[in-house]
This record gives sequence, C-alpha cells and structure tokens, in this order.
Amino acid sequence: MRRLCAAALLVVALTGSNGGTVDSHALKRDAEKVSSLATEGELLANDMAKGASTKYFARVHAKELSVAASDLADALGKRPTSPGIEGDVRKLSRLAAKVSRHLEQLHLHPTSRTVAKSLEQPLTDDADAADELAK
Amino acid sequence: MKIFQVALGILAAIGGFVDIGDLVFNVSAGATFGYQLLWVVVIGVVGIIVYSEMCGRVAAVSGKAVFDAVRERLGFRTGLMALVSAQVVNLMTLTAEIGGVAICLQLLSGLPYRWLILLAGVALAIVVWVTSFDWIERIFGYGGLCLLVFAVAAVKLHPAWGAVGHGFVPHMDTESPLLYAYFAVGLLGAAMTPYEVYFYSSGAVEEQWGPKDLGLNKVNAMIGYGLGGFLSFALMIVGGALFLDKGIEPEFLGSITLGAEVPLGQIGLLLALVGILFAVSGAAIDTLFSGAYNLAQFLGWEWGRYRHPSGAPRFTLTWIVLLVLALGAVMTGVDPVQLTEFAVIFSAVAVPLKYKPILLVANDRAYMREYVNTRLANTLGLIYLVLIMIVSVTAVPLLILTNVGQN
Repeated sequence: MRRLCAAALLVVALTGSNGGTVDSHALKRDAEKVSSLATEGELLANDMAKGASTKYFARVHAKELSVAASDLADALGKRPTSPGIEGDVRKLSRLAAKVSRHLEQLHLHPTSRTVAKSLEQPLTDDADAADELAK
Repeated sequence: MKIFQVALGILAAIGGFVDIGDLVFNVSAGATFGYQLLWVVVIGVVGIIVYSEMCGRVAAVSGKAVFDAVRERLGFRTGLMALVSAQVVNLMTLTAEIGGVAICLQLLSGLPYRWLILLAGVALAIVVWVTSFDWIERIFGYGGLCLLVFAVAAVKLHPAWGAVGHGFVPHMDTESPLLYAYFAVGLLGAAMTPYEVYFYSSGAVEEQWGPKDLGLNKVNAMIGYGLGGFLSFALMIVGGALFLDKGIEPEFLGSITLGAEVPLGQIGLLLALVGILFAVSGAAIDTLFSGAYNLAQFLGWEWGRYRHPSGAPRFTLTWIVLLVLALGAVMTGVDPVQLTEFAVIFSAVAVPLKYKPILLVANDRAYMREYVNTRLANTLGLIYLVLIMIVSVTAVPLLILTNVGQN
C-alpha cells in the first residue's frame, strides 16, 4: 500500500509539473492553446450572432474560455523563459489577455447579436496571431 | 420481450460507457487524431460486451456479483487491494460525475456552480432514496438517449466518410506515437472501466435474474454497450469533423456541446445538454451504487437497492458516506474533466484484478453448471485479459510521458 501511495504521488508530481521555464516547445503548445480558445470563442460568437445559442450557455461557456485565457496570460507573464524567446512569450501573454477580454465581452452580453457579430473577426485575428507564434 | 427490460444494459452503457470521461476522451481523440482511433472503440465495445455478458451470466446462475467472486477467488489480501483500488477510482469518478452534473445544470440555468453542486448532491440522494431500481434505470437510461443528437450532428457536419471508414482499420498516421498510444489506452480503459461491470452484475442480482434471463442478459449487453459504442463513434466523428481542422482542443463540457450547437442550433444544444445531464447523472448513480455494492459484497453485508434501507443499513450508510465524500471533494474546486481523465487511467491499471476472477468463476462448473463459458467466450475472455494487462502496465507511463495527454 505504501508503494502504491508513493507511485501515486510520483505520478501527480511528474504530471503536474508544468509551471517551470517556458522553452520553445512550451511556447508552441501555449500558442496552440490560445489559438484554440480564440477559435472556439469565434465559433460561439458566430452561433450567438445567428441566435443559435442560449443566453445561459453563452454566458457560462464564454466565461470558462475567458478564465482559461486569462490564466494562461498570467502564467506566461510571470514564468521564466529560455534565452531568446522572452519577447515571443510576453507577446503571447498579451495576446491571451486580449482573447480573454474579447471572451469576457461575450460573457457580459450573452443575448446581444450585435456584440457577438462584432467579436467574430477580432477573435479570428487573435487565433491567426497565436498560430503565427506557434510556428 | 418488453422494451423496458433492456433498460439495465442501456443505463449501464449510457451511464457507464458515456460518462463525463468518455465524452471528453472521445471528442478529444477526434479533435487530435481525427477518425484514426475509431477501431479502438470497437475493440473496447467488444471487450465490455464479453465481460458484461459473463458477469450477468454468473450473477443470473449463481447469484454472485463481481466482488463476491473477487473475495472468493483472489483471497483476502489481493481481494482487499482490488477493493481499495476500486473504491478510490470509484470515488474519483463519482466526484467527477457530480461536478459534471453541476456544470451541465450551470450551462442550462446560469446559476452559481457551487450551489448547483449541492443541488446535484441533494437531488441524487433523493432520487436514489425514493426511486425504485427499475425506474432509476429507465429515467437515466432513456433520458441519456438524447445524446443521440451527436449522431445527427456527426452526419450534419459532413465528415469525410472514406476517412471515417478507414478509421475502423488500425493504422497510425501521426508524428506523436506516444500521444496516440495514450489516447488508445485511455479509450480502451474508458470503454472497459470496471464500475460498469460492478453495476451491471449487481443490477442483475437486484433484478433477481435467473437462468431464464440469460437471453435477456445477452441482449442487454449487446444492445446497451453497442449503443454506447455507437455514441462514442458519433462523439469522435464530431471531434474530428468540427474541431480538428480548426485546431480546437475541447477541454470543457461546454466545448463538447458546441459540437451539437454548431450544426443543429439551439435545439441541438439543448438536447446535448439534457442528454449529458442524464448520462452523467446516471454515471454518478452507477458509481455511487458500485462503491456500496463492492464494499458490501466483499465484507458479506446485506446489500441491494431492492431492500428497504433498514434491511441493508450498512449498504445504505456506505452510499450516503460516499456521496458526502464526493460532494466534499468536488466543492474543493477540483476540475471534474481533468479528474475523470486520471480516474480512467488509474482504473485501467487495476482492471485485471477485477476481470480475472470473473473469468475463473464463469468457468467453474460447481457454480455455473451447464452455463459455464463456451470456448468462444473463453478465447475472447483470455484475449481481452492479456490486452487489459498490457493496458494496465502502460497506462501510467503514458500518462507521465504525455503530460496527461498534453504531449
């Protein structure tokens, strides 16, 4: 039983250790995550603009995505980076914060088709910018 | 045969096969590898049908559920290990499912998450206390059929059907073989997750099956888990057709329902949310009962939902304690989706300890008389036992090497 507990702790320690230095691989992964959040936000905004979503779903899901983007922005803003990529990491942090703000607007205006429509292109642009950083 | 009689298999399948972990795992697999892993679902479905049929047959002929067999065949010490691992994974899964119910209610109502966790806990307690086993099966099994909206969504998303067909043939077209293996192991583990089998075999005893019900047992296992597999296909196709090209990593329950909203609009969204609500609630009840069944069977207590709570007080107390523990755990703010991924992988590790004794009892003429395993059942049972041993050995290393599927 003691060995089982030790193994479980080891697993948690090994799998939960993603708060260290941001290297180019981590930058790529995080950029893909930001792109994913922005693209999903764009899908949601598109549905909201068409009246294909519901008020509560739009509000709650937009908030989930916004919080995820904001958490990423915070982490990328603070974590140490490998030499030569700090500029890109901080740029990605600012981009994630921007995605979070756009998604927050969807959260605050879950029934406004106009707001949703106006956010589709910015979220697409955010996703494209994140894709650039992922390359 | 009355249609309601297949409800046990449907509940076990909808509540067990398509729980929060499967929803996330299948859609994520589609979003990461397209349709390449559809073949793994087929293998998982056949495996769970083989072992569920065996468990149902053992329960119908001998009146013994899984942990009766575990205790008898593995001895106290190994049996205790199997019990502890089963209870830990059950509690993790129950916590994740209750969190999933609360998220679903939040997506439907917009109310605060923590209040909805409490509401979900109280509602589950009331349902389990006042509703008969038959009606629990019917309400959650058939309510979960709303998930079929994902099959319609999959068609409406116009996937490349040639690629879908190719997905049923094992192949690997990726630069991330470890991640591919992680998803394959996860999908197999999720399909053959043992709490489905605990619930199914104990349910057969609850319904007082006898040898005359062996036909029903086969139909239940095949239709129920076949349906679960069909839903898994649909979820993976939705993941591949909608999320893969766009580069979306679906990490939330809400992301999955977008898979129905985008092609079908509000009605698709609402059906998906209601289907997930019933399926995840059914899974919560499956795991809640499974935890109480396992402990009661292992320790030889009176058990069964068909008894009045005063007729099986320790069994009743066990599920109440499990529910309170899970509610406490989910109130800490743990992410249900991530927790269920861990639960699936850890359950894969311990699976052989549960399936081996079933295979042994199903071959014992003293218990099974003329209903012992056929040669086909034994061959399939052995093949799957070897397969789940491989899964059990590789699950944790893959979890670590892929950083929980994050590559």
